[in-house]
Amino acid sequence: MNPIYRKFQASVTQQLFALNQALTSCRVAPSIQHPVWCTASVNERHYRSMPTHGIGRWRHLLPRNAPKKKKEKHQMKGIFSATATSYGTLNVKVSGHDMTVVERYSQYIHNLCIRLGINVAEHYALPTKSTEVMLMQEQGTKMYVDAVLKTHERVVQLSTLNATLCPIFMDVLLKNQPEGVELSVKEHTEADFQARFKTRPELEGLISQIYQ
Amino acid sequence: MAAPCGRMASRPLFRFLSRFSGICVGHTGIRHFSRASVSRTTAKSETEGERGGSPWTLMAAVCLQRLPVISADYNPMEQRFKDMLHQIELEKSVLSDHELRLLEEAERMSRKQAGDYDSDKEDDVDQEILLAQDMEDTWEQKLKSFQPAPRVRADVDKDLSSPERCLADSLVLLTEQQVGGEKMWLLPQTQWQEGETLRQTAERALASLPAAGFKVTFLGNAPCGVYKYKLPKAIRTESCVGTKVFFFKAILTDSPPPKPEKALFLWLKKNELEKYLKPAYMLKVGNFILDL
Repeated sequence: MNPIYRKFQASVTQQLFALNQALTSCRVAPSIQHPVWCTASVNERHYRSMPTHGIGRWRHLLPRNAPKKKKEKHQMKGIFSATATSYGTLNVKVSGHDMTVVERYSQYIHNLCIRLGINVAEHYALPTKSTEVMLMQEQGTKMYVDAVLKTHERVVQLSTLNATLCPIFMDVLLKNQPEGVELSVKEHTEADFQARFKTRPELEGLISQIYQ
Repeated sequence: MAAPCGRMASRPLFRFLSRFSGICVGHTGIRHFSRASVSRTTAKSETEGERGGSPWTLMAAVCLQRLPVISADYNPMEQRFKDMLHQIELEKSVLSDHELRLLEEAERMSRKQAGDYDSDKEDDVDQEILLAQDMEDTWEQKLKSFQPAPRVRADVDKDLSSPERCLADSLVLLTEQQVGGEKMWLLPQTQWQEGETLRQTAERALASLPAAGFKVTFLGNAPCGVYKYKLPKAIRTESCVGTKVFFFKAILTDSPPPKPEKALFLWLKKNELEKYLKPAYMLKVGNFILDL
């Protein structure tokens, strides 16, 4: 308490001293001005002894974070195994030819899980597969390209699913399934996770060379 | 009460994977069969001791549903909104490759038919033999020759025993069974026997239906509803106070070949169920049948 009071007194006396100096040096217009405004301009630096020193500091209040690594780690989320009352990590795969319908349905599933309190581990897309539909020509034996069909796949990964909630959840999903969309529910395995990554043949070649 | 539930929970989960366009579900679960059978025998020895205590007879029933095949029709408000959205999207959209090609070729045709046409001055060298307009004409022809199946068939809709009726709604199977000297319409059920899980009882209930032949997928191992009733006081004994019926949900994956006569089954929508089921039963059953 006391040192602060002393500092305040000191600062006040200093301000008055500065004010006197300012009044004597410059011919101030006879209009009444607040003494503090007269001395303090916009760019004045706060001295270290002043109580307002460091008044604008904010960076020390932020939490210290190490810079994030962009690389996805080996197993992003652990695979749960089935227990007596709940299923393990499940993959709900939605696939179809119409991308808007497939995406909307997968979003619907995700929102339904949030509503029902089911933990959604991940929601990702698998690469699109293109299928060429070829027809025989009417006169001749050559096949020609009739259409290109693209199959889009979206996966909603649920970490656990309660056995009592399962029939209700499946019933709602099936009754709201749109036309032209396939639904399949499978258990999530490590192989499924690894299938999402591209193989790096050069890296594998180098590794095999090291170990030979 | 604890006995059948405990056994049910330790039952092995089966692996299903079925694929149909539009209607498809698959279940997989991995359990080692040897482990499950061990736990089943231990549970069985427990229940033999406490079996004498429970005065309720247990039964398992199946709520077999045929899922909707086509999407329901839009009501007028939805139709208007849908048209409006479609128009907005059309007006905001950009021309596709095919449409651009149509425009280019139309322009080229008009230039060809003009008086001063010099083919050497054409910028684009590659001119398709098959014009985009011709392709469109062939597609139109193919579309005209395609006959889609009718969405609503009035005569099939009226036949209550056919699983093909009302393609836009989900239907529930009802059978006529004898319960305590009275014949009534209810969901197929049988009595639980010792040594099996309730889900197996439910499967047996379906299999025991006369001339069923349904291909069915059960949606889960846990029941979705319970109905219990006490017997009238005259028949009530110490060991048999009443019955508890556990319901399991299942969906029809393959419809059986159509039977020539005998309406043994009824396929009903939820609002039609009230006419056939007893009110107390309907109250409990209506809780878990979703009318989506």
